[in-house]
Amino acid sequence: MLLYTLTRLAYLAMVLVVMSILVFLVTQAMPGDVASMIAGQFASKEVIDAITVKLGLDQPLIVQYGRWAAGILQGDLGRSLVLEQPVAPILMEALSRSLVLAVVALAVVTVIGIGLGVLAAVRRGRLADQMVSGVSYLGIAVPDFFWAIVLVLVFGSYLKWLPTGGYAPLSDGFVPWASHLVLPVVTLVLMLIARIARLTRSSMIDVLQTNYVKYARAKGLPEKVVIVRHALRNALLPTITVLAIDFGLILGGVVVIETVFSFPGMGRLLLFAIQRHDLPLIQATILIISTAYCLANLTADLLYAFVNPKIRHGMGNA
Amino acid sequence: MTALVPLSAAASPDPTPASATASAAALLEVRNLTINYASPRGTLRAASDVSFAIRPGEVMGLVGESGSGKSTVAMAILDLLGEAGRIDGGEILFEGTDLRRLSAAHRRRLRGDRIAAVFQDPFTSLNPALTVGRQIAEPLVQHKGFTARQAAPRVEELLAEVGIREPRRIAQSYPHQLSGGMQQRVLIATALGCDPKLLILDEPTTALDVTVEARIIELLAGLCESHHLSALFVSHNLGIVNRICNSVCVLYGSEVVETGRTRDVLARPVHPYTKGLVAALPRITTDRRHRLSSIPGTVSKLSGASESCVFAPRCPFAEETCRRLPQALRGDAAGNSVRCWKAEALAGTPWPEESTASRPQAAPPARSAPLVQVDALRKVFGERRSILPWLRRDGTVAVDDVSFTIQRGEVLGVVGESGSGKSTIGRSLLALIEPTAGTVLFDGADFVKQAKEGDRDLRRRAQLVFQNSAASLNPRKTVGAAMERPLVLAGRQGEAERREMIAALLTRVGLPAAYADRYPHELSGGERQRVNIARALATDPEFVVCDEAVSALDVSVQANILNLLADLRDELGLSYLFITHDIAVVSHIADRVLVVYGGTICEEGPIGRVLRPPYHPYTEALLSAVPRLGGAEDGPEPERILLEDSTAPPGGGGCAFRGRCPRKLGAICDERAPPVQTAADGHRIACHIPLAELAERASVFPELAALH
Repeated sequence: MLLYTLTRLAYLAMVLVVMSILVFLVTQAMPGDVASMIAGQFASKEVIDAITVKLGLDQPLIVQYGRWAAGILQGDLGRSLVLEQPVAPILMEALSRSLVLAVVALAVVTVIGIGLGVLAAVRRGRLADQMVSGVSYLGIAVPDFFWAIVLVLVFGSYLKWLPTGGYAPLSDGFVPWASHLVLPVVTLVLMLIARIARLTRSSMIDVLQTNYVKYARAKGLPEKVVIVRHALRNALLPTITVLAIDFGLILGGVVVIETVFSFPGMGRLLLFAIQRHDLPLIQATILIISTAYCLANLTADLLYAFVNPKIRHGMGNA
Repeated sequence: MTALVPLSAAASPDPTPASATASAAALLEVRNLTINYASPRGTLRAASDVSFAIRPGEVMGLVGESGSGKSTVAMAILDLLGEAGRIDGGEILFEGTDLRRLSAAHRRRLRGDRIAAVFQDPFTSLNPALTVGRQIAEPLVQHKGFTARQAAPRVEELLAEVGIREPRRIAQSYPHQLSGGMQQRVLIATALGCDPKLLILDEPTTALDVTVEARIIELLAGLCESHHLSALFVSHNLGIVNRICNSVCVLYGSEVVETGRTRDVLARPVHPYTKGLVAALPRITTDRRHRLSSIPGTVSKLSGASESCVFAPRCPFAEETCRRLPQALRGDAAGNSVRCWKAEALAGTPWPEESTASRPQAAPPARSAPLVQVDALRKVFGERRSILPWLRRDGTVAVDDVSFTIQRGEVLGVVGESGSGKSTIGRSLLALIEPTAGTVLFDGADFVKQAKEGDRDLRRRAQLVFQNSAASLNPRKTVGAAMERPLVLAGRQGEAERREMIAALLTRVGLPAAYADRYPHELSGGERQRVNIARALATDPEFVVCDEAVSALDVSVQANILNLLADLRDELGLSYLFITHDIAVVSHIADRVLVVYGGTICEEGPIGRVLRPPYHPYTEALLSAVPRLGGAEDGPEPERILLEDSTAPPGGGGCAFRGRCPRKLGAICDERAPPVQTAADGHRIACHIPLAELAERASVFPELAALH
């Protein structure tokens, strides 16, 4: 298990190095010249040249990359050109808000999604199953911005129970904080619950037909124990992977939902940076998003190995 | 046996069961149990009017082929029928109480406590995510109120009782870390935990190797005796039933057709179906040229009440009456009963023998150049090279330095347990697997090289028949379409010509030509295997690898297919490599046999020689483990050689069998590969024990000596 983890971490480092090179090259290839953008539309050539030299943009790409990468390793993500302040604190703020969104959404999805999936599998073919399946189809088929708009109209504009957008830090008090989270979280989880419920249902149905579940019943265990200890534990393996990856996705920003609810998370930050052509901000944001995604994947694999003894006890000497 | 007392009139079913007289003392009594299954095509009968009784301390065998309803009855007793199955009538009395009248919760409390179960496939019956110790403890915690901590010493005690040597370590293992035999011991320990009265054993050894099966049966028999347990032993294997059961109940087409004491029923079967079943069993002691008896036809799916004898369509003794009236179970004074009105008349009549006269004797294998020549074949799986030292892997040696030849028209049997490398040998011969080292010559040409270069003709000349008849046919293609492809590849261009050939091939394997338009799911297992054989024959091959080709089939069907394969060999001059775990099957069809263990050949020779001493210690144990029929008249059963549970063959030099060998000499077996000693007539044994000493052992089959 330790060797497995180490190997995976080594792979992760390699992926991040490759990722940073790609991010750097792609942002270089973007149309428009940074120096002239900073200098403004009517700046003279001398001013632009001066900025170019100041930012080191006249040096070879490899040197520019080296300086950028070295900075990152020292915790310096660069300075935002547009906001004219260090990127790191801006990013951390957005990331922390996305983290709140991801944690709350994931908790809701885990409880409700798995619960509905198990219910549907156990009552396979009956009313409960048909309702869960029907609602899941709706959740998956209808795009999230539709729900977002409906929710804003109903609870924000019409009933006026909840704010239609924005974000309040926890320091403003629990109620404002929570009330700003409700609508984005609900929209976000509608689709995720549908997916997790369907996934859990199908793997649960497979596991319920296995011999070891039949044998658990033959031991005279109560149905609750059979379902939770014997069936669910094994049925959750694919679900865990998907949940961890979903977590990484939310952390990396959900652009549509963040836009509709004016939620200042990673998604909106990236959108802002791209629209303003703020290269250091774009580079740092993408890098952080990919890191978050890779870490979520790694967590998924480690969790999977931890829950599955076949991998846990086979990987150590692999 | 003489006086059959009709308990009920044949035409009007009487609720009084045959075993009513025994009911007072019975631990479990099943009365007139009727179970139906809901299926998309209507209601199917799984059990009709099934009655039997098990007394305390009695082990009853419930035998029948697939579809007979035997597992359904067992599951009904455990209340584990599932949603599709429904009990439509009858009683299940356990200690005098009808289980059907109890609440579901009450039935659940009996399960695992008073009535415990062991299922067929131990690996899938254990939860992969929990330690086996925890799984054994579950019934104790549930029914006896133990805490997990209190249960731990009892779990170790149970594991020790089922013959596991390091109970503490095993209790902390996960199922995938144990061998099949150990897993089955774990299940048995689980079942014993709460001191049950009744064990339901559903094919408990079917998934195990023969030598492991022998140990598990020994263990079960001992436990039933020492704990005064009763058991219902569900099995399709008459040999095993003969060894462990006091009484037996034969099911056919959802009905009990015969029941009585094991030694009566199996030694002198009365019902035609039982006669056929016993006659169809391949026996080591019959001659290789002897044609196996078989039961014609297949089990049909049953729905609605029967209006005739269920067995009449396949019965050689059937008359008009049999087709008009359903049969009732009639008991005799000894407590045996049979569902056949002609039973008395048929008492001395054996199952009709298949004529052997019509069969042309095959020419003895020619002494010319061999058709297949395998030299120093070696296959290593999963070897991985890497610059990172912890990613390097040595791989598993599946086949190590195996050499043999097959003559034209010869059948070479390969016998071995799971993991012996027998399938790898078969696949390497057809270049489906690339050997790591060694050569395979087919008619003088390097098969692997030629096949790589796209030589279609070699592929045409060598074919394969697999074990799983359903999985080797594309479910979306008709039988005809499946057979057309090889014909096209063999260069048959005309469509009319191909259709004619398909019809001829189907007829050749004993199927109606109209089957060409059917889909695989419309055929029975035996019919599908015939289609697979016909498809293999389509390219007019000279050599066919049969990889466990009859293992998944019921006994009566297996006999059919074995006869067909033997006919094809005799008429078309085919050579087979016949891979199987069942030495009785091999003794029926093979000229010569290789006994393989851990990827090496331990013994090879003409079948008649291999069955007689001198034996390789592994062959001796394998032969001794084979379950056999044979009543009291055959004398006492010979002492069985019981091997340790299988462990992974130790790597490195030395003998592959040394880890389980009961006759291991010492260091020499660990250090040096055993020398190949030639006994006679191409009979070779790879063992350090001198030939003369090996020859001193008594024959496992003394009756063979009298035969030749």
